[in-house]
Amino acid sequence: MSEAAVKSWINGDESARQMLGRVQASRPSFSLPPPLHRIPLRVGNVVEIAGPSPSAKTQLLVQTAASCILPKEWNGLHYGGLGHSVLFIDLDCRFDVLRLVEMLGHRITQVNGCSCTADNEEILKLSMRRFSYIRCYDSLELLATLKTLHHRLEKEKESNGIGGHLLMIDSIGAFHWVDRASTSLPLGGKNRKCLSLQNVLEVVVEDLRKLLSLHAMLVIVTKATIGGPTGNEVRRNYKRWPSAGTFDASSELEGLQKPYFREYMPSIWQSFVTHRLLVRGSDDHIAMPKSQENNTAYVSEWLLPHLNFLDKFVVRDAGVFLIP
Amino acid sequence: MASFKRLETEFPILDSDFQSFCALRGIFTVQDFLIHDLQSLVADAEQQPSSERFMQAINQVLYVIDGLHRPWLNGVDLMEDAQKNKHALSTGCEGMDFLLRGGLQRGQVTELAGPSSSGKTQFCLLTASTVAYKHKGGVIYIDTGNSFSAKRIACFLNQISGPASEEMQPRILQDVMNSILCHSVFDIFSMFDVLHCLGSKLKNQMCRGDNDERLIIIDSISSLITPILGSSGSQGRALMVSAMSLLKKLAHEYNLAVLVMNHTVGGDGGIPKPALGESWKTLPHVRLLLSRDCGSDTYHVSLLKHPSVASGKAAKFIIND
Repeated sequence: MSEAAVKSWINGDESARQMLGRVQASRPSFSLPPPLHRIPLRVGNVVEIAGPSPSAKTQLLVQTAASCILPKEWNGLHYGGLGHSVLFIDLDCRFDVLRLVEMLGHRITQVNGCSCTADNEEILKLSMRRFSYIRCYDSLELLATLKTLHHRLEKEKESNGIGGHLLMIDSIGAFHWVDRASTSLPLGGKNRKCLSLQNVLEVVVEDLRKLLSLHAMLVIVTKATIGGPTGNEVRRNYKRWPSAGTFDASSELEGLQKPYFREYMPSIWQSFVTHRLLVRGSDDHIAMPKSQENNTAYVSEWLLPHLNFLDKFVVRDAGVFLIP
Repeated sequence: MASFKRLETEFPILDSDFQSFCALRGIFTVQDFLIHDLQSLVADAEQQPSSERFMQAINQVLYVIDGLHRPWLNGVDLMEDAQKNKHALSTGCEGMDFLLRGGLQRGQVTELAGPSSSGKTQFCLLTASTVAYKHKGGVIYIDTGNSFSAKRIACFLNQISGPASEEMQPRILQDVMNSILCHSVFDIFSMFDVLHCLGSKLKNQMCRGDNDERLIIIDSISSLITPILGSSGSQGRALMVSAMSLLKKLAHEYNLAVLVMNHTVGGDGGIPKPALGESWKTLPHVRLLLSRDCGSDTYHVSLLKHPSVASGKAAKFIIND
């Protein structure tokens, strides 16, 4: 080895500043709309939005998807999007594409004041082209989708070089009951795996891990909290919490966690999740400006990492809005 | 799902060598392959002497798997399909149509819950007649309580069509009655039968290009599901989820609107809430709660959940006698 090469090796390849620049470019952080804005989220993170139905979980996904696929700038106007592509895996099969179009429309006209409809149409199409959607009707379809996603992303990378994806799964518990009920006996060899809840989720986690290691990707997953077979226990807790009296922040926090949050996902999934947001509806109704109608307010709380305060938000036609 | 042995005839790369390599790891079929960790399999294959052929074989299986999921759709295609095929169907009640932004959305499942005698069946019959008359569409009416009434349909039809000429009236009536197909179903397995038959019928019609079915009504789905939910096992819930998944599949692929009825149970403080529990809540696209004041003919409906309208909105409507 020549002296120069040794010297350069000792000196190191890059300064800390260069490294930071490189990491930030290859692992971009996503600035997502509220209430996901509290925590800086990066490529490689797995965010779980948990809550009972209805608690605006899918709305949060749609809103996040909208700001992700919008371009940052277009024709000299600043639209404030991220310009990333979104992969939406719909297990609940309830996604309404027109809702996404409506939200994008609001965002676009907000910026350019609905001056030119042909422009709006074009920017809408440009954004929607970054959105990919698939629905799965059972666990095997989900596994087939995840196993072949790597090849699909490779192909996409070659053709248009998009880096930085947002993978959304709505919602991960959709096949919980079906998989739990399938108790097929192991056939053939001793090491042959049977189709069960545990096995399916293990492979889902493995496949997602592999995708995350090969592609710059942020994963956002919703999870509906469901009442288990011991429904009585849930109901008892549920009845107890309104009698807690005055609603200062701490008692509301407690009430939020105890009656609603009962984990049913296997531990392999729980350890895979890096961030967890809990949402629920609240009894408050917030008056909408310029109309007599009331909107249901929702409350969100970060459980992982734990933040000791709640965000309140409402869902309007134009999207999700925080209430101060 | 196909075993590798059967696939070998089509893809000779999956030879007996590869089959025995997989069999050692408990993989005999494509399904086994799906629930096996791919990474460890690839790592194992690379250790083998004929690693190159094994890798080719694994890629071949992945190619087969790629055909097992639905195709990825681009946002633009999805949007165009929705704008072209997923219109709303008018229900015949102005208040309801206004609340739902035009009516029952094709491609979506709408749940209507209400206590006994709150007008659920009346609403079903009115919607069936409206869709059959105004949208010239076929209606599949799944009746679980023998409450379907052709007489009531004829009566609604008179109201909707208005004063038609004497000779036109019987023809309209015949057309509408012909396009409403009523199935009497008393357990969930017969409902699966009806829906599977419907699925293959629609598939054939789709190929011929004359698909005119518009609406499936199930009055009521809760009387089919409640009996199987009772036990503490997960079988009942699994059937409920699969039934809804089948309905959503039919709705999406053949552009049908689906309307299902649910009954109510006493919630906190005696306020009626929809039955079927927590796991049901995530299944329908739209959830509505219906109520009626005793003795009046004004119905109140409130929105519990909707993909694009803020929940909590309410409306009133009248169904004439």
